[in-house]
Formats: sequence, C-alpha cells, structure tokens
Amino acid sequence: MRKYGVVLALAAIFSLPVVWVLITSIKKQSEYAASPIVLFPAVPQWINYQLAVTMADFPKYATNSVFLSSAYTILVVITSALVGFGFARHRGPGRDRLFLLVIGTMMLPTLVLFVPQFVMFARLDLTNSYWPWILWGLAASPYHVFLFRQFFAAFPRELEDAAEVDGCGPLRVFLQIFIPNAGPALAASAIFAFLWVWGDYLYPILLLNDQNTTLAVKLAKAYVDPRGNPLQTITMAGIVLYVLPLVALFFAAQRYIVRGVVTTGLKG
Amino acid sequence: MSADTKPTLNAPHGQLRTTRRRLLAGAGAVAAAAAVAPLAVACQQQPTSKKSGPAKVVVMTDSHEFGDDDRKLLQDTTKIEIELVEADLTRLYAMYAAGNPPDIFRVQAAGIPQYISRRMLKDLQPYFANSKVLKIDDLAPANNFYKSDGKKVGTGDLYGMVKDWSPDFTLYAYKKPFAEAGVTVPSDSQPLTYDELAALAKKVNKKQGGKRTYWGFVHSNNDQWIDRTAMNMLAEKNQSLYSADFSKLVIAANPETLKVVRYLFDLAKDDVHQNPLDPSPNWMGADFNEGQIAILQYGFWYSAMAESDKTKGNVVFLPAPTWSGVRRDPTMTATGWVISSQTKDPDAAWAVFEQYMGGKPAQDRAKSGWGVPGLKSMYPLMPQETPFQKQVQKVLQAELKQSEFTLAFNPYIGEETFATSWKKHLEPALKGSISFDKFVANIEADINTAIADGKRIAGNN
Amino acid sequence: MSAAARPIAGSSVRAVAWRRRSARRALTFYAFLSPWLVGFALLTALPLAVALLMSFTDYDGFNLDRVGFVGLENYTRALADPDAQHALQRTLILMVTVVPIGVGVQLALALLLDQRLRFSGLLRTIFYLPHVIPVVGGAWVWKLFTDPNGGLLNAIIGIFSPDTYIRWLVEYPTVVLSVFVIWAAAGGGMVIFLAGLQGIPAEYREAAMIDGASPWQVTRFVTLPLLSPVIFFQVVVGVIATLQILQQPILLTPGITGISPGTVPPRDNYVFVGHAYNAIFVNHLFGYGAALLWILFALVLLLTLVLFRTSGRWVFYGVQQ
Repeated sequence: MRKYGVVLALAAIFSLPVVWVLITSIKKQSEYAASPIVLFPAVPQWINYQLAVTMADFPKYATNSVFLSSAYTILVVITSALVGFGFARHRGPGRDRLFLLVIGTMMLPTLVLFVPQFVMFARLDLTNSYWPWILWGLAASPYHVFLFRQFFAAFPRELEDAAEVDGCGPLRVFLQIFIPNAGPALAASAIFAFLWVWGDYLYPILLLNDQNTTLAVKLAKAYVDPRGNPLQTITMAGIVLYVLPLVALFFAAQRYIVRGVVTTGLKG
Repeated sequence: MSADTKPTLNAPHGQLRTTRRRLLAGAGAVAAAAAVAPLAVACQQQPTSKKSGPAKVVVMTDSHEFGDDDRKLLQDTTKIEIELVEADLTRLYAMYAAGNPPDIFRVQAAGIPQYISRRMLKDLQPYFANSKVLKIDDLAPANNFYKSDGKKVGTGDLYGMVKDWSPDFTLYAYKKPFAEAGVTVPSDSQPLTYDELAALAKKVNKKQGGKRTYWGFVHSNNDQWIDRTAMNMLAEKNQSLYSADFSKLVIAANPETLKVVRYLFDLAKDDVHQNPLDPSPNWMGADFNEGQIAILQYGFWYSAMAESDKTKGNVVFLPAPTWSGVRRDPTMTATGWVISSQTKDPDAAWAVFEQYMGGKPAQDRAKSGWGVPGLKSMYPLMPQETPFQKQVQKVLQAELKQSEFTLAFNPYIGEETFATSWKKHLEPALKGSISFDKFVANIEADINTAIADGKRIAGNN
Repeated sequence: MSAAARPIAGSSVRAVAWRRRSARRALTFYAFLSPWLVGFALLTALPLAVALLMSFTDYDGFNLDRVGFVGLENYTRALADPDAQHALQRTLILMVTVVPIGVGVQLALALLLDQRLRFSGLLRTIFYLPHVIPVVGGAWVWKLFTDPNGGLLNAIIGIFSPDTYIRWLVEYPTVVLSVFVIWAAAGGGMVIFLAGLQGIPAEYREAAMIDGASPWQVTRFVTLPLLSPVIFFQVVVGVIATLQILQQPILLTPGITGISPGTVPPRDNYVFVGHAYNAIFVNHLFGYGAALLWILFALVLLLTLVLFRTSGRWVFYGVQQ
C-alpha cells in the first residue's frame, strides 16, 4: 500500500492547481478573491461556461483553431513521415550531414527566425491567411522527421527486401508496408502537431487578423466586463473549455503515444 | 520550420550516440546554409502593388474599442472593405519591417514624436484642409499632440487625430477610506498640491497583516505612463526629463527633475502606490472599482466607469493636483488614429479615418462619456444625467481651460522605453539592493543609450 | 553501404549498371527528402541568413532601404551589456535548477508508475495533463494557484500557520517559474522514461533480485545505468529548452494576460531571450537583438557539446546490440 501512498500524494500535488482552476471556473466573480478564501462556491455558477462560450465567440474561433490545427497536422505528418522514411531506409550522398542539419535546426532559438519569417510572409502577401501554416506543413518539421526516422529505422530489413522482390517501387513500399505498421508513430506525431498549433500564441497574433485568428489569441482578451475589468472566473471556464479537447485527444490516444515512444525510442 | 514549444515529449532518444564532431558538423552546416542563402535575398519580392477592385483598408486597433460590429458599420457607410488587426506593438513593428504596415493604426501621445521623426506617418494637413467633416478650427486642443513641424510636436502639420481625449491628471476619490481614516475628502474646486496629495495618501493608505485594504494614491497606469506624469509635473516649471534637444535624459544633474523623480519614487517606497513589491494583479481601474484605491489619477474618460456596484455614490471627481502652483492638465494619452506614410490607398484610408473621427461613430463615442470628443462642436453631446456625471462636468469644464498644453515626448525613444527601464530598476531599488542614486544612474544609462541608438537611426532615415 | 562497399571488380558493364543503380537510389533518397529540403531552404535557411545579416547591422525594423553595416559592434556590445549579463546569469541559474530537478521528477514518476498499479491509465493522464495545457493557460493556472488572496496555496499553508499572506510571484518569482516549468514538462519526460523502462529486459532486474539485491540496489545499479542514455537525452533537451525560455516569465508577471513588449518581469525572472525580445521590440534594435540570439545559439551549442563530451563517463550504452 505504501507505493499507492506516494503515487497518490504526487498525483494530488500535480493536479491541485488544475483542480483549483476547475473550482474557480464555477465560482461567482465575488467569490474569486474573497477574504476569507471561498473554497467551494455557494452555488455552482455553470453559467460561466455559457458566458465563456458566447463572450469569446467560441464556435467561430474554435472552428478556426480546429481547421488550422488539422490542416497543419495532416500535412506535417505526411511530409515528415516521407522525409523520415527517406532518412531511415534510403541512402544518398550527404545523408548523415543532412540529418545532423535536422537536429541542428532544433537547437535554434525560435525568436531568431521570428522577424525574418514575418518579413518574408508579408512580402509574399501571405499574412492574415493560413498559408504560413500550410507551408510549414508542406516543409515537414525537424521534430517529426526525427520521430519517424527513429521509428522506421527499427523495421527489419527483410520487410522491404521481400516487397522489392515483388516489384514494389519505393513509394509503394512506403505506403503499403511501412505506413500501415506506423500507427503509434503517426498518432504521436499527429497529436504533437495538433498541440503545437492549438496552443501557440505568438505566431497567430503575428500572422493572423481579428477574424481568422485562433482561440488562443482570442481567449487572452475576451473575458472582461464592459469596463475592461478582467472576469477571472469566466476566464477559467474558457481555459477549461480550451484545454478539454486536448485532454480528450490525449486520453483517446494515450496508449498509442506510449507505444509510439517505446518503439521509436529504444531500438537504437 | 515549426517551433514546437514542448520539445521533451516526442523526441525519442535512440540513436543519439551522435559524437561531438558530428554535432559540430551539423551546426556548421546550419551556419553554412545561412551564409549561402543571402544570395537569394536579393530576389525578394517588392511589396505587392495595389490590387484593382474595391478598396481595402487595414486598421490596427484595440478590439475592445473598435470591435467587429463597429467595423461592419464603418464598412457599410464608407463602402470600403476594412480588415481589422488586433493592436499589438510586436506585430506593428514586424509589419513595418516587412514594408507592409497597416493603413491606419492606433497610437498614443508618447509614441507620436518617434513615429513622425522616422517618417512613418502620412502628413494629413492637405486632407484636413479640404475636409467638410473634420474642420481644423473645430479640433480640440489634444489634437496638437498630432502636430509636428518636423522637429517638435505641438505646432505644424497634422499627422492624425484623437478618437477622444481627456485632461488626464484629474483625481478620483473614493469616500470610504477617507471616512474610515477620519479625513475630509478634498474640495472639488481647489486643486491639491502634489505634496498635500502625498501626505493625504499616507493617511488613507491601509494595510492589514500585509494585506491591502486601500492604496493611498495610485497613478500612471501602474507605472506604464510614469514618464508622462513626470513630464507634466516638470512642465509647470518649463522643465523636462530631457535636455532641450532631446539628446539626453537629465535627472541627477537637474535638481528640479531629481525632485520629481524622488517624489514618484517615494510614493512607491512608502507603499501608498502600487509597486513591484506589492503589485496588483489588475489594472488600476479595476482596483478602484473594487474599492481598493482611495485616490486614483485618471482622466475624465474613466468617469464612465468609476462608479461600480461597490463604489456607487461614493466617488468624487477632483481637479488635477499641481506641483508648483502653475496648473496644467493636458491629456497624456491622446489616443487616436494615424495613417501610415506607406499606405497604398491614402484616399480610402482617409475616408475611413474621416468617418470614424467625425461621423456617427464619433457622435456615439461622445454620447457614451468615454472621454472628451476630438471635435469641439461635439462637446455638448457629453452625458450629464446622474449626480456624479453633473459633478464631473462641473470640474471638467474648469479643467478644460488648463488643458491647452502639449507635452513634448522624446522623438528618439519608443513610448515604452522609459517605463520599461523604470520598472526594471525600481524593484531592486525598493528592495534596497541598489541605492536611489544608483536607481537614477541606471535609468539614465539605459535611456541615454536608447537615445543614442534612436538618434543614429533617425539620422539614417 | 552495400553498393559502394562492394569491390568494383568484373566488367565495366557491371560497374556502369552499379553506378546507374546507385544514382537512381540517390534520386529516390532525395525525392523522399524533397519536402524538407525545399522547406528548409526557403523557410529556415533563408530567414536564418537574414537574421545573421541583421546581426551585423543597425537595422531598426522600420526601413529596409537604409540599413548600415556595423560589423561586430552588436556582438561586442552584448558582451559589455550589464542587463545581458544579468539575464544570462538568471537563465543559467534557472537551467541548473530546473534541468536536474525536472529530470529527477520525470524519472521518479516513471519508476513509480512502472510498478503494477491499478488505474495506471488514469494516473498517467493526471501526470501528463499539465503537458497538454498550452503555456498561456498554464501560466493562468499558476497565477491563480499562487494568488495571495484567492490562491489555494496560501490557503493550504494557512491551515498550519494562519494569516499567511505570501506574494509568491513577488517574493519567490523564480521558485514559481521553476515549479511551473518542471510541472509542465514532467508528463512528457515521464512517458519517455516509461518507454525506456519497458525496453529494459526483465531478466536483468530479476537476476539482480535473485542475487539478493534490494529494490533500491536494483534501481541504483541495474535500472539507472541501463536508463542512462535516456537520462542523457532528457538532460540535453532540457538544457536546450530552458536556455530558450521566453513566454513563461512574461506571462507570470503580475497584471499581465498576454505577451507584449514593455512587460517587465520580476528582476529575478529577467531571462536572456526576454532581454533580446525587449531589445528588438521595445528599443527597436533588431540587429542587436539578433546578435544576442546568435550568442545564445552558440552557447546552446557549446553546452550541448560539453554534455556530449562528458557523457562517456556516465552514459552506458552496454545493452544495445
């Protein structure tokens, strides 16, 4: 039983801040910073959730977020899988150097690229549109390339030899042999890609406009009363609604993720 | 490349027996790629030229001030497509860097001289001269902040206009702390001196067991506008934070400036003003609404919201305090719109600008009581219904006579520069890890470096 | 290697066929890589080149047509900038606390959850949850939790010592920042360590148990050495991530809800990338800001190299093949 004690204590510590957000999200605004502290609201204010949805125009901006996150995710998973497969199962001059370049880019401070990227997108007239994300998706992402490369490298050689003997071209080998067996890696990659766009704040505020921006940007400003005073309880409800899809997504794909990391991770 | 924010999860660890040499080679390759690519920079596209078809104007402003409904209304009346971009300094600078700034954007007084000195704004004098809606004679004095003769703001051509404005140094007193401390609320006809104000603030300031009950005197929008407050106090003696040619910040060497800085520093040190050691999680307007501030320094615009459920019936509007007996109560925000010098369709931008500043949107703003209108002809539209609004109007009319003054901010630094440095050094100074003299010296060092940089850039342009 | 490594004996016809075949192979390789190759050139290398050029100029962000080259001035200035030094010091302090503690927590969680437990899926999700919360939301969570008035933390401490009123974000800003960062990263690292643990053959540990080793000894002398490559990887990733922290200190500043220039975090949380951000967006020193960031890149690289160099002493690659 001792092991449960430690685990449960840790779980409590980890989840306390989140639980506090949940409780705060159903408090009255007057209970928010009351002294002495209000541990539980006298009457749960479920209306906070309704207000959180209407004040931030949730349907509209959540749709934007879902669309943008999905578009990027689909593209980046496909391209990164292709590139990762190339690195893992094919050879060409400079392969190792190129792969180190992939790793090298992961070390760059994001901010270094921030301004030049914006200048470039603006000059191509691609700001206030989803094109930058589409292009990023088409370009594959170093992290995801790394993930797929590690994953595909672990496949036994015989698999593709047999296919080649059967006359399969490299693309068909990829599509018919490797992809059907890459479920965990695909799931893990997809979730991380989705998470990145859904949670990002800096790029949408830099690249999108008031109408097509994402939920992350809208939430930062939406919850104030007509005087401009922050409504913390509704903000918390908004944050719960904002994070919920991600938690659900993780919960659904949890086993895949762990398995994805297991299979990619250990077979050196 | 995508900037995955959480790198720890999806990066598997296998095959990481990468050697040091290989790693170095990878980094070298990054650098090499970076060195070759400039060749490609030369063929960057020019900004896309004006497209044919209906005009489109990009407006960067605060969505609380100008939301989607306002956008649609303005779009319908002007028949010009309006694209709204949330006001964000990072974005504004990035857009300028890309040579693709918004056609219209929101500015405040302290930023205008810099924008003008860098030739970022369009000279609107010809448009005003020909406008039937925005007549130059009808402009409220706050619009002088948008005038420049090329060297100094205050006179010259117009580069923009306030959306509304307020004499900004007025005070709001919340009666309850005064009653509790047994102090009478100051008169609304006789201005306080800043010294009297500080003494009063100490009396009504209240803390219990480290917890805040009332702040004595809160000003400068949580120090974000600290230089503006100091500039206005100094203006009474025809002094400034800066040397006459704006080439230097002078605090220690000018006894008048030093006194003002000391005064503002002491308010923080005495803990009667919000400060880095006892900050508020909110903006100061919200704290006043919560009944946590005894005296608040904000312009007339705040009267539209000074009375909350908690403070209703207990708020008095007071004239601006004076530093040395010469009354000055100009605006320090002068929030308004300007048109970028790089706009591709100045006529369309002006049409939107003109309608917003002089059409129905302007009248609606005037009626709301959110500030004094930018056009004198609209002054009578301000609300005077509740007892509080009437008391406010009485004081306001007297203040308006003291408001025809333009604070000349430094054209070589950005509007956030001084406050950023102030806030940065205030925390160690209040903690006692640096002395007051060192605090002053640090700010001087920061700002004078920034001015030198700014001058060099302005010289470049 | 198969093609190139074979001795090129026999007829020239065969050699030509080989060459043709390896050319086709290379072509296939580059075809698969093409999305990344093109993307890297256009979306990374090109902006990177601009950023590198920028660091040698006095560019102010407004006018591209009037940019002056200043040579190495921005770099020498960075070395003499007291704020940059302070920020670097704070960032390094953050790194040496957050990385070891963070990796320790991740490892401990993984070791605990690797046991046979009921509800392990649920527990995993609880520990993983913070990792899914976007940074803006996570900052709200911690601001609320540590709020002096409405925060649960003071309330809990208040049970033991009444009338506790600690302004966490003012008095202990770096503690809150560190805990926030560790909390947010713990789940991700835990999953990776769990994966690592599942890859260790059960016989190794069983054998040690049979030899009479205590559970602690098994962990210390069998599990940890076998896990050392994973630990090493997490340390490297942690170092890279911590040195580049920007958003968290800004968002934890009292009174701030979004990220904007001019935000001044508590002096203890004034980090290096934040200083670069201010240089660029408050003082319009695009060139100087870029130089600061390149210095950081060099530092990240250097530290990573040092880690690789010293890793031989404690990272154990024995089991693999």
